Amino acid sequence: MRLLFINHIQNARQSLQSSRARSLLTMLGVTIGVASITAILALSGGTNNIISDQINSLGGNIIIVRPGAAFDPTLDITQAQLHDNYSTSTLTEKDVESLEKTNNIKSVAPIMVLSGTIKGDSKAPNNSQVVATSPELADISNLKLRVGQFLDETLDQNTVVIGKQLSINIFGTESSIGRNLTIRGKPFVVVGVLKQVNNPINYNSIDFDNAAMVNFTAGKKLNNDVIQIQQIDIKATSIDKLKKAEIGANKTILANHVGEKDFSVLVGDKISQPTSHFFYTIAGVMTAIAAISLLVGGIGIMNIMLVTVAERTREIGIRKALGASNIDISWQFLIESLAISIIGGVFGYVVGYILAFSISDILTFNPVINWQIAVIAILISVVMGLLFGLYPAIRAARKDPIESLNRHN
Amino acid sequence: MTITTKKTPVIKLRDLEKRFGIGDAEIIALNKINLSIKKGEFVSIMGPSGCGKTTLLNIIGLLDSSFVGEYELDGKSVNSISEIKQARIRSKQIGFVFQNFNLIPRLNVIENVAIPLVYKGMSHTKRLVVASDILKNFHLNEREYYMPYQLSGGQVQRVAIARALVNEPSIILADEPTGNLDSRSSHIIMEELSDLHKRGNTIIMVTHNPRLTTYSSRVITMLDGQIDTDTKPTIEPTEPKIKRQPKTKQTKRRKKSPFRMKRKKR
Repeated sequence: MRLLFINHIQNARQSLQSSRARSLLTMLGVTIGVASITAILALSGGTNNIISDQINSLGGNIIIVRPGAAFDPTLDITQAQLHDNYSTSTLTEKDVESLEKTNNIKSVAPIMVLSGTIKGDSKAPNNSQVVATSPELADISNLKLRVGQFLDETLDQNTVVIGKQLSINIFGTESSIGRNLTIRGKPFVVVGVLKQVNNPINYNSIDFDNAAMVNFTAGKKLNNDVIQIQQIDIKATSIDKLKKAEIGANKTILANHVGEKDFSVLVGDKISQPTSHFFYTIAGVMTAIAAISLLVGGIGIMNIMLVTVAERTREIGIRKALGASNIDISWQFLIESLAISIIGGVFGYVVGYILAFSISDILTFNPVINWQIAVIAILISVVMGLLFGLYPAIRAARKDPIESLNRHN
Repeated sequence: MTITTKKTPVIKLRDLEKRFGIGDAEIIALNKINLSIKKGEFVSIMGPSGCGKTTLLNIIGLLDSSFVGEYELDGKSVNSISEIKQARIRSKQIGFVFQNFNLIPRLNVIENVAIPLVYKGMSHTKRLVVASDILKNFHLNEREYYMPYQLSGGQVQRVAIARALVNEPSIILADEPTGNLDSRSSHIIMEELSDLHKRGNTIIMVTHNPRLTTYSSRVITMLDGQIDTDTKPTIEPTEPKIKRQPKTKQTKRRKKSPFRMKRKKR
């Protein structure tokens, strides 16, 4: 039986070689489909990696609380949009305070992103963010200062720490300690400039290079005393206590919210759900292309296989007369269609990575290379080959040997 | 002949009926055929076109299983054999030789000969060795890697016979094996078949050429789907080459020419 399979493979190779152009064109459909899938997976894996790498580099003991219960992963993503200021957050200042008192939790930092113009010597670009937070954020998110110091409770409330790029944008220099800027028209003094972070995609969804960080109370004042906490970052005392801290955080907030689960506590991989709108637009378009091209490619395979079966009707008759069973015949053609789809899939995998790497040139992260993507690419092509090769193969097997032998072609 | 004394019939047909078409267009291709062929017989089937010779051969060769009646192969009713097992029997016991040779044009000679071995589950190298061996017997070992279109008709048919024999089948079914060949090649082919017969193979051959029946041990003529006559061969081979045939015995058995009988019936 095994030897028969080897023979079928040899046979398929021979037959594909004899109609090279046709086979290559058929493979192209599979190639495009698998390429887009590979590219999507490699890139989304890339974003995931960035965030989980960040969390791991921070010691892996980060817990994140976001408003709204997480029903499914996509909801997580949509709710994680800190730029989305339309919905009212369910997280309160009280939550932050009680979390600080919860066991196994080392530090807590609320994050409140405000809209508002930042103005120094010149106006800051639109993508700059104002973040109201607590001094603990520096520890939790491992923010390093280039010059000056981070926010401090003891300091004057009208102090601000800014990102390096923002500093350059509004002051024209990286060293802007002591300079004045205005946020929503209110004056602030720069006490620190962050080191370049250069990863706009992170679990805080804040591009720290382009952000101005103010104390939470100052931010609250800026926002007319309205609290709008988009996210609370929590650091557990140690990685072993992470689970306990997570449960503790859940209980604490649940008690504060009188038993209503209108928040989600995220740990580990769940945090690393990619959060970029831009990325999801690309992924959506590419998924559509992939689905269509896989379908069209599959129809192409079926079409070509039907032609091949018709062309080789006589051969089918001869083979049957010489001892091939219906199953042998159907395998012969099924393996041929599998060969087309798998070779197409392998090409697609390679092309997909070329695509992913060229796209990542304009993005801030690199595509991942892992075995899962390879397995998925191969699996897709195998399923395609089987799915669209089955009908032609069955048709071939059902051919009447006598009629086939009398066919003149 | 000693062959006829052997008792067990390899092929036994009882009231075999085969119809094509439906309603007005129905044709009875085989009408209540009763036939038993013993092991080692060389049977020639003759008769006008459309009398059901090829249909009969296809049924015997297990290519056609839609018939009415009883067909026993080696004492087993064919109706009770599954499709896969029938294929296995075709692979191991039956060798086909066709009028139009039926080599696969995209495969070379040795690969064509090796096809039946594929379904026996033999490895590639072993297949080539076996195929090469048998081609040597047919003096075609220098043509192993030729494509079928590069050979003459006689050579192609010899390749086809080699292919039919590569699995060492006990029954060889030949459907007008010399129909597309000139008389010289015909006789070479017939000698090969006759050789096989002497080695104990059962051969059933459909032919139009009454001369070729002399190689056989039994001649069946068919008419309108029925067996018309069932006799011993009559005409002596005209070619001087065939010396292996025991002429004296055959001349004794000479009866009416089947060719002439056919005319009489009309």
